[in-house]
Amino acid sequence: MNCLLEGNCVKAFGKAIHALSRIGDELWLDPMVKGLALRAVNSAHSAYACFLFSPLFFQQYSLGSVSEQGSGTVKCKLAMKSVLPLFRCLTSIERNVERCQITVGTPSDRVMIQFFCRHGIIKTHNLRFQESEALQAVFASHLCPNVLKAPARLLGDMVMHFPVCQEEITLSVTPERVSLRNYYEEGNDRKKTMCTEMSLHPDEFNYFQVGVESDITFCLKELRGLLSFAESHCLPVSVHFAAAGKPVCFSVEDMVLEASVVLATLMDSESRIPSQHTQPPAPTTPRRADAAVVPLGSCEADSRVPQGVVTMMELIPSSQGSPILNPPTQMLLESHFDDPNGPRSHDEACVSVASTPASSTICSLLFRAVSSEQDGVCVAQLPVLACYSDEEEDMEEDYPGSPSL
Amino acid sequence: MKFRGKIIDVACLNHFTRVVTTISKLTKICVLRLTPDNLFFVLSGKVANGGVSMWCELSQANFFDEYQMEGVSSEDNEICLEVTPENLSRALKTVQNAKAVKLKLTKKHCPCLTIAAELPTLSSISRVVTHDVPVDVIPRRLWHEFKEPSMPDFDVSIYLPPLKTMKNVVDRMKNLSNFLVMEANLNGEMNLKIETDLVSVTTHFKDLGNPPWGDDASQDGGPSQSRDPEDMAQARVDIRKLQQFLMGQQVNPSKAMCNIVHERVVHLILLHEDVSLQYFIPAVA
Repeated sequence: MNCLLEGNCVKAFGKAIHALSRIGDELWLDPMVKGLALRAVNSAHSAYACFLFSPLFFQQYSLGSVSEQGSGTVKCKLAMKSVLPLFRCLTSIERNVERCQITVGTPSDRVMIQFFCRHGIIKTHNLRFQESEALQAVFASHLCPNVLKAPARLLGDMVMHFPVCQEEITLSVTPERVSLRNYYEEGNDRKKTMCTEMSLHPDEFNYFQVGVESDITFCLKELRGLLSFAESHCLPVSVHFAAAGKPVCFSVEDMVLEASVVLATLMDSESRIPSQHTQPPAPTTPRRADAAVVPLGSCEADSRVPQGVVTMMELIPSSQGSPILNPPTQMLLESHFDDPNGPRSHDEACVSVASTPASSTICSLLFRAVSSEQDGVCVAQLPVLACYSDEEEDMEEDYPGSPSL
Repeated sequence: MKFRGKIIDVACLNHFTRVVTTISKLTKICVLRLTPDNLFFVLSGKVANGGVSMWCELSQANFFDEYQMEGVSSEDNEICLEVTPENLSRALKTVQNAKAVKLKLTKKHCPCLTIAAELPTLSSISRVVTHDVPVDVIPRRLWHEFKEPSMPDFDVSIYLPPLKTMKNVVDRMKNLSNFLVMEANLNGEMNLKIETDLVSVTTHFKDLGNPPWGDDASQDGGPSQSRDPEDMAQARVDIRKLQQFLMGQQVNPSKAMCNIVHERVVHLILLHEDVSLQYFIPAVA
């Protein structure tokens, strides 16, 4: 793969890397026909971000010949700490760098990033990479009952009221009101912490659709990168979400790029589950692979077990028993919930030690690996076991980085 | 016990925020004392905070467009709250462009000072932000700890040089020593000194001027009578405390003064129109 960026595009690219660095310690460079995708996943698998730069974004974009490389292009995993310093100071990039060339070379087994600066200075950085399949969050945004769209500025103004150290915030929506407040774990010294809440009228949003009243709690830190990216490019941000415990997706779209951040949300405490019962997409959608094992509709309001937990406990055995699973290349991570009798022990094995205490109560997102450039075809054949969306076809059309609006 | 205030004027809001931010740089926790006419930020000199004490007085009428309060009782018409000024400052900073900011004492999950702001939007409906800053209500039996400190019987009183200049000097001295000797005389001269085994550094300031205090203010019936103008009064202080004071300055004071009680205490006073800030740094041996 070989691509060339010029002037302001280098800055935008750098800004994207900044945003991704908020999510994880590793960066996937995934060259595809439809553009270059940059991805990151956090260690607890509760946050995922993807920036897709279309070929038009680049001055020049070529994948190299497919036949030469056998199964298409190389997907590289780079250490964030080796990439980030190259783009650390965006103002100096803006001032000095005229062009930037990124080459993923098969012969050298390196990612080469070259900055062509003023006065004919050329800075060449060779980064070693690991060939690795990129994870992708499975997120069907078109099935979300709640959609908000607003200028990045508005969202920036909303989160500005929260301190930088604020971990999680809760977004509540009703048809009349949108509110945002900081979230503190129970038992935390609540008495000493400042509580902030802000509320907005739906009119302030460009698009406002609330199918289900919901309160979702997600990590603010991991979102800030995307918001600042969107703000610097004056792009509107779309938010797709459903009930608590289901992931939320923040996305921006432009002519030449798409970016999205998918964040896990906190499960509601058990007492609140019955009121959350009205989630339309899950029970009504047809399921192909899992229809038999997921008795979603059978959960009554008086049931003592939260609906989500039932789903997951049924699902896990099926995913573990799946003969198609091949752990090194295909990761299907089950959600884990705050249920002591539930799939806890299993989760602890698959969730990295580095996860923060807060994120351990957050459900992991559901991931699938992209195994080829025509990922849709391949994935369609894989039963997505822990699937949040409905049918596989939808997901295949619905590249996670580009939620249909 | 009731308290409710409203600030509409942007300049007032900005000024109030700067005062609170200055306080937040000086101390993590302090006491906010509310009376019908004034607001006080008080830090009493306890060993825990290095013996430093602070007294900041604001006249409510200069900041608030509306101000209502009802104290503990009619004879003790006051409210004393322990607050974290940093929280207050942070809350106020995010609402700088508000159309109106309300401050009120509320009972939420704990007693809170609620800052509610109405923010302008592009549409006609305004946005509302509330910050609940937790506070502790101080019972009346402890109020005596938060009375205005009496002016010490100083030996020398002197106007300070521009605080920024002083800050630059003190910042550099801090790299060399933990303690600084402040000395001044009645001839308008002040020296900042550090003395270590390896190095002695002194910065001399002159022609600073000595504020005219009434005769009752100082020792021995007035400094001018009994004291040699060349005679230095000095105090050795923790350099960090002085630095903290110089660093946090957000209000540009119209007058900055320093009173020194020989080998006992340094008393710094900043006056800015309606605000006065006093800061006491104890001398160390």
